[in-house]
Amino acid sequence: MNPKMRRILVMGVLAMTMLATGCAKKSTQAPPTPPQPPPTRDTTPTPPSSDTSSTVPTPGTKILGSGDFAPAFFDLDSYSLRNDARAALDGNAKLLRDNPDTRITVEGHCDERGTSEYNQALGERRAQAARDYLVGAGIEAGRLQIVSYGKERPFDPGHDEAAWAQNRRAHFVVR
Amino acid sequence: MKRPLVLLAVLAMVVGALARAQTRDVIIDITTGAGKRIPILCESFQTGGDRTARETSVIADTVLANDLQRSAVFEVTRSWIGTPSGEMQAVVGGKWIVNGNTVRLQGEVRDLPARRAIFSKEYKGTLRQRRQIVHQFADDIVQQFTGEAGVSQTRIAFSVQEGRNKEMYVMDWDGDGLFQLTRDRSIAISPSWSPEGSLILFTSYRAGAGPQVYVIPSAGGKPYLVSGRAGNNTSASYAPDGREIALTLSMDGNPEIYITDARGQSPRRITNNRAIDTSPVWSPTGREIAFTSDRSGGFQVYLMDREGGNVRRLTYEVGSTDSPAWSPKGDRLAFVSRTDSGFDIYVCKADGSNARRVASGGSNENPRWSPDGRHLVFASDRGGSRGLWVTDLDDRPPYKLNTGGRVAMSPAWSPRPSGPSSPASH
Repeated sequence: MNPKMRRILVMGVLAMTMLATGCAKKSTQAPPTPPQPPPTRDTTPTPPSSDTSSTVPTPGTKILGSGDFAPAFFDLDSYSLRNDARAALDGNAKLLRDNPDTRITVEGHCDERGTSEYNQALGERRAQAARDYLVGAGIEAGRLQIVSYGKERPFDPGHDEAAWAQNRRAHFVVR
Repeated sequence: MKRPLVLLAVLAMVVGALARAQTRDVIIDITTGAGKRIPILCESFQTGGDRTARETSVIADTVLANDLQRSAVFEVTRSWIGTPSGEMQAVVGGKWIVNGNTVRLQGEVRDLPARRAIFSKEYKGTLRQRRQIVHQFADDIVQQFTGEAGVSQTRIAFSVQEGRNKEMYVMDWDGDGLFQLTRDRSIAISPSWSPEGSLILFTSYRAGAGPQVYVIPSAGGKPYLVSGRAGNNTSASYAPDGREIALTLSMDGNPEIYITDARGQSPRRITNNRAIDTSPVWSPTGREIAFTSDRSGGFQVYLMDREGGNVRRLTYEVGSTDSPAWSPKGDRLAFVSRTDSGFDIYVCKADGSNARRVASGGSNENPRWSPDGRHLVFASDRGGSRGLWVTDLDDRPPYKLNTGGRVAMSPAWSPRPSGPSSPASH
């Protein structure tokens, strides 16, 4: 995808998200706040690819860990960025701007209510949506890699809405 | 590294081309006689020999009765006691001769009440092949009564949850001979057998770069990369002639269905839609492909020809549908449909009509046909733990396959073994 197309896509996604939130506000007043994961959840279930040892520490700055990045949560079957997801991504964009040497992998995750194959595709779209938002916020695309885990690496092994809400996310891992 | 893969690919093509020759004009629906099975008596095998011979015959008694019962063709009884003599249609038995490492089975089937021999055959092999010999006898018995061999020599490939990882396993249909195929400490899912059964395509995260498609010898060995293009490489399946692979790639920015050659080269894109298109499976003629797309909102199964033309939605009778599997005779498709908490499994005719729910309760996923089209294997969490189940597509409840207590999912049913590897017979 060339930069121009990507920009159009990002704007499209943003516009759709704004439309969607606009509609939602009429009916529900306040958008539901996503459950915040306990701090330990962010560090324990990182995949083998999340080896932080490759990050070269810059003298005088704090070394960023994967746990410093907030996940972006999604609705069922959706890869549109909700308000809370954009807030999380704004925070992540600032972290990345402040730490120009940090490179991250954006992992796309899904709940178990789709087939493995469908969720691998959906998870990739969630990771893309998060990456494109960060690129739109000025982060170099080269610092952001995406991987879809579909429903294969759930953060919460439960089988209820609370677990599913935790598992529909773009998750950030420092490379 | 490339050479073994090329050889394997060529082998897959040659045997696949042979398999393709058997196309049928008339299809007899063998599953409509719901619940109607032929009552058959399995007598204990005779044996003249030592302890090994007696042990062999005892094992064989159980394996044969199990095979015939699972065939869904027969209702097996193992003793005359309490059996009204007028009901049995045939009696199965024979004699084992064990000589050192060599075993021979003289198998026979007699009709009742006349006890006229309607089938007899001698099987020969090594002691280690004795279960295989019984499976072959069972498949011959099914052939004698139905005109088509049974599937007791087939195997199941599946994923096992090990901590946070999933490793690929293979076992005989009856749970014997289970072994671990991958040891990658990664995620291995979505197996698909080559048409002659020597290879298994699967999706793996073993390279740490997202989902990629690999092929591995089904008897064990090293996995070879088939497609590691940028983005997702998932849901691969061999064409019925083994010459091509259908798979999902997102290298152009969006998940689309492609056809490559048997080595994963020369990708040809056959879908072109902004939606998610995935899970391609071939019709048994290789002329059509069923796949999943969310182009109409929720996900649905669609059919198209192998060039990507003539796209049409499979069914309107059920809600959202996914995970299509084409029956080996081409007359039906199995698929899943979403429920509040998971999936039910349905079977419909190839034109989408007559959708019938065949598995519900808990979440039921990944339906895959046996090579004779009499059974479906699927993954389910019914009963609290995730395992593999089989339905005979009749009124009887599904039964669970023995995976030795492992948390099993993502099954795929092997084709029947091709001639040379079977035990010798005459």
